[in-house]
Amino acid sequence: MVSPEPLVFSLQHFCLHDGPGIRSLVFFKGCPLRCPWCQNVESWKAGSEIAFKPALCINCGTCVRKCPEHALAEVGTRDTTRCRGCFTCIDSCPSGAMTLFGVQRSPEDVVEELRPEFSLFTTSGGGVTFTGGEPTLYPDFSARLARSLRTEGIHIAMETCGFFDLKRLRPLLRELRLVLFDIKIYDREQHRQMCGADNTVIKKNLKALVEAGSGQGAPAVWPRLPLVPGLTDGQDNIKGWAGFLRSLGISFLTIVPYHPMGASKRRWLGLPAGPELRVPTDAEIQTAGGLFSAEGIMTYKPGEEPFPEDSIGPAQGLPRDLPGAAHDRRVEHRGLPTDGHGPTGLNTPR
Amino acid sequence: MAGLPRFSASLTSAAVAPVEGFTPPTPRIAAIRAKLLSTPYSICLERPKLMEEFWSSREGRRSAKLEHPLVHRALTLQYIFSHRKPRIYDDEIIIGNMTSKRIAANYYIEGGSINILEDFARLGKRTIPLKLTIQETAGVLHLGLKNAFKSVGAKALLKPGRLSYFLDFFRAKRHFVTEEAGIGHQVGNYWMVVHEGLRGPYGEAKQRLEEGRLADGSRLDADQRAFFSSVLITIDGIRKMAENLAAEAEHLAQMKGESEQRRAELLAAAAACRRVPFEPARTYLEGLQATWLIHMALNLEDFEQGLSFGRMDQILLPLYRSDVELGRLNTGQATEMTACFCLKTCETMPLYSQRVDQFFSGNGVAQAFTLGGTDEKGNDLTNELSGLILDAYAQVLTREPAVHVRIHPATPEWFFQKSVELLQMGTSRPSFFGDTAVVRALQEAGMTREHARDYAVIGCVEMASQGRTYNSSDAALFNLPLCLELALNEGRRFHGKARIEGRRRFGAPTPPVSTMKTFDDVLDAFRAQVRHGVDDMVKVIGWLEEVYRTIRPTPVNSILTEGCLETGKDVTWGGGLYDYTSIQAAGLADAGDSLYALKRIIFDQKRFSLDEFVGILQDNFRGREDLRVELASKLPRYGNGDPDVDHMTQLAADAFSDALSAHKNSRGGRYVPGFYSMTCHIGFGRVTGALPNGRPAGRRLSNGLAPVDGCDRMGPTAVLRSAASLDSRKWMNCHALNLKFDRQIVQGKTGRKALVSLLKNYFALGGMQVQVNILDTETLKAAKRDPASYPGIVVRVAGYCAYFNDLQPAVQDEIIERTAHGIT
Repeated sequence: MVSPEPLVFSLQHFCLHDGPGIRSLVFFKGCPLRCPWCQNVESWKAGSEIAFKPALCINCGTCVRKCPEHALAEVGTRDTTRCRGCFTCIDSCPSGAMTLFGVQRSPEDVVEELRPEFSLFTTSGGGVTFTGGEPTLYPDFSARLARSLRTEGIHIAMETCGFFDLKRLRPLLRELRLVLFDIKIYDREQHRQMCGADNTVIKKNLKALVEAGSGQGAPAVWPRLPLVPGLTDGQDNIKGWAGFLRSLGISFLTIVPYHPMGASKRRWLGLPAGPELRVPTDAEIQTAGGLFSAEGIMTYKPGEEPFPEDSIGPAQGLPRDLPGAAHDRRVEHRGLPTDGHGPTGLNTPR
Repeated sequence: MAGLPRFSASLTSAAVAPVEGFTPPTPRIAAIRAKLLSTPYSICLERPKLMEEFWSSREGRRSAKLEHPLVHRALTLQYIFSHRKPRIYDDEIIIGNMTSKRIAANYYIEGGSINILEDFARLGKRTIPLKLTIQETAGVLHLGLKNAFKSVGAKALLKPGRLSYFLDFFRAKRHFVTEEAGIGHQVGNYWMVVHEGLRGPYGEAKQRLEEGRLADGSRLDADQRAFFSSVLITIDGIRKMAENLAAEAEHLAQMKGESEQRRAELLAAAAACRRVPFEPARTYLEGLQATWLIHMALNLEDFEQGLSFGRMDQILLPLYRSDVELGRLNTGQATEMTACFCLKTCETMPLYSQRVDQFFSGNGVAQAFTLGGTDEKGNDLTNELSGLILDAYAQVLTREPAVHVRIHPATPEWFFQKSVELLQMGTSRPSFFGDTAVVRALQEAGMTREHARDYAVIGCVEMASQGRTYNSSDAALFNLPLCLELALNEGRRFHGKARIEGRRRFGAPTPPVSTMKTFDDVLDAFRAQVRHGVDDMVKVIGWLEEVYRTIRPTPVNSILTEGCLETGKDVTWGGGLYDYTSIQAAGLADAGDSLYALKRIIFDQKRFSLDEFVGILQDNFRGREDLRVELASKLPRYGNGDPDVDHMTQLAADAFSDALSAHKNSRGGRYVPGFYSMTCHIGFGRVTGALPNGRPAGRRLSNGLAPVDGCDRMGPTAVLRSAASLDSRKWMNCHALNLKFDRQIVQGKTGRKALVSLLKNYFALGGMQVQVNILDTETLKAAKRDPASYPGIVVRVAGYCAYFNDLQPAVQDEIIERTAHGIT
């Protein structure tokens, strides 16, 4: 069982590339996809994870000595079958080399941590972006958090991989102004092989969100493509997506160049190294942009998008449709999706 | 010029497209700039040689014996001004050489320059080599040794009973008294210089002497008569210097082979120098020329640090507008003239030995422009000239001058945007000052609101109401965390070298830690140590200021400072309308974090007895690396918006402010605090023991108002929030808060918009000052490996900018390591 509430593994401030203005990012833990280029591999599993950052370790051996299960034979090697997830190693580690990813937080608690940034959101036309991980895995929690923020006048955006159950998302969507929708590999089979799931749902969801328009209670949608040389920058892939976007009446896209930040995180988590990937060159980014524009799609760098007028600016202080609020309370206690197993063999996160 | 980050192409071609709204340098500016960047640094001996020449002349011997010290000094200065050789360089339209070389340090034998003797055997091999001929090197030695015992420092400190203070001064552990080198640091009354000319004070002084009375009717005493005479003598010297320059320009204009255009430029410069600074300026060019000539005189008078121009966008505005209206000046020409003026400021540098350079690395002089801000009623005064001066600086992008902008609630959006756009070009200029907080602090220090609103920045961050203030700012720097070390060890350093320090207690005899039962006991001992350190420092400064009055008074400075002509007193005698001596504390965040750590670990959690913990500190955490790392990485730190820790930082700051404000300076003015450290946080760090916040002995201290390096865990928004939350009312001399951003994060329109919002929000929260470095770590690492390929990278070190290559390796590392915001 994962926790009844989602885990948050990071709150990051002064982010400029995930929606308009200066934003704070809320990272949700858990993702249905397993893209090899992922920069946030610590977001994959829904439960808490113990990580080890060798660069910080001072080799004091405290973790080895203190572990009540003797799960650590030596610094940095943890026997996951023995570990019960008591986190003694993390509490006792002086340097922060033993790190916990994923902490349970209440919406109120998150709002309070974000509050000092509110005035900056107002000055800069920014706000909060839900990301992860996949915020849509937790439609009720996300909707509650979003509602609390929106009643404070905070603009909320969400980044999503698009693999979600749309029906359960409506209360959340009503709170959002903008959805940054990741598209990856157009070919269905390749997507399944590469990212671990079929993209039919993703395409369907994108279509549905766009068709809902940015009218009452529906956020604007802005697609983004991670540009990974050899994986997502092929002509066929670009043409496939361009055609699809055009058919939806979308003429814009953000290209997010691959960054190898995930590589060190894989080591921290003891995950096997991912495939050899490289950062796209400026020329490759331009080529991709050229291919898209030949298909009638304008491409932008993250942070430089001309988001539609109705998706920016401060949120309305009051809920947009009051019936929705009532609806929210009804859905509050619905069950949450689970993936059935503790991702690290830990089944009782704090 | 291959490695110049942004403007390399522009340097060779004028046809380059504007860089995001700024025009590339004109060919003239590009040529002068290239020449300056490729010129080696040197030392100029002209000034001391002229001084010696005068002193050994009949007139010099006579005046030394018979004249009042003020008059003797004025005659000496007059001799220097009127006998130095004028030098005009290719392409210049603002003329006037700072020294006898293209780029050189003046050799001030009365003060600090003598420290260069420490490097005597390796002048060409220093980190920053100095190019001198053999004869010149011999001259440096000869002049230095001959005058070593006549310097201000020697006269003040080499006296019976003051030896321990002298050693203290030289070892620079508790404090670094910079006032020994000179006072400098001034924003003179350039409004008077430009719009009335020196004719005003000249006539005034003459009238006072003729009447034998002050304007208020009181009779002149001998000192006052001497003062007014010194004004007349000095102004005569300045006029002669201007005339000599004019003659040289006229001479060059007659040379064969000069183009018609160059001939006209030289004649225009000559005509300007025939008129200003004695007569009021009539054109923008004359305004700049008048300012430059007075700036030269100030540099030759005392020493080079912090001599600043003030609010040039206000002072020159009437001339600029009338020129434009009359159709005799266009924006392009005005920008080029201003850029030329900016490049003139690159001709000077300070003279520091390698030892002193640890404390003031980067060759900064900080000749500052202050732009924007309000009138005395609080109405916005930002104008087209404010923008034009930013444009001019964007053409030069050199270490000097310093550019500061004033931000207030009605600052126009375009000016804010343009300032940040300039910042994005990578030279860390301008820095930003919040009018609300600054004006409040100046009023707190005794200025009227109207005068406070007319503030301009002295050098890096220090404050003056322009033309009304004598602020011996940056008189000393103070090692604040060391006071905590002393407080925990009965006034002794943990590892003082008995051989040198003897059995002498370094600080106050505070009680042993075994008797300290509460956190307040520790705090009391800390405060006692701060007071003790401040008392000693103030004593030394008092002795220095005493000596200044006789051997180094400053008539030029006095002419430019309201109050002197009214009272008949030189500024060093207390003539300035507002008079301050200001001291900067280094290591504030280290002190605050350490107080917090002590309270939490010892008194709240009771994990150790204080005795035990101090033992661990004395051993520099030997065998307790786990504890050190835990303290350093797991405890809350200043700079993350945590009110509890930020409160401790406030307590540390208050301890210093209160200790200082208990004193009056030797002129009856106030002592005021500031919080910045030049690079003293590195020098002080070397001699400071382990601290309770997990900082090991010897490591650099925190810089200015910034959090300890790497301890700003929540990003720049929290840093600014913490900084703005501190009560800065007592900080008359401001602070330096460095923020560093990776270029990737804050480039382009998005980055600009974000930075503007970030800064706006900071000032709305009550922020006082902030300066921003935008650079990428890779470039800096490359520059450190291969300096020759990266000659022009400007970084902000403390309150001032420096060429990265001029910095000591340890400072370079700091810049590289300092948290690059945005990189996770």
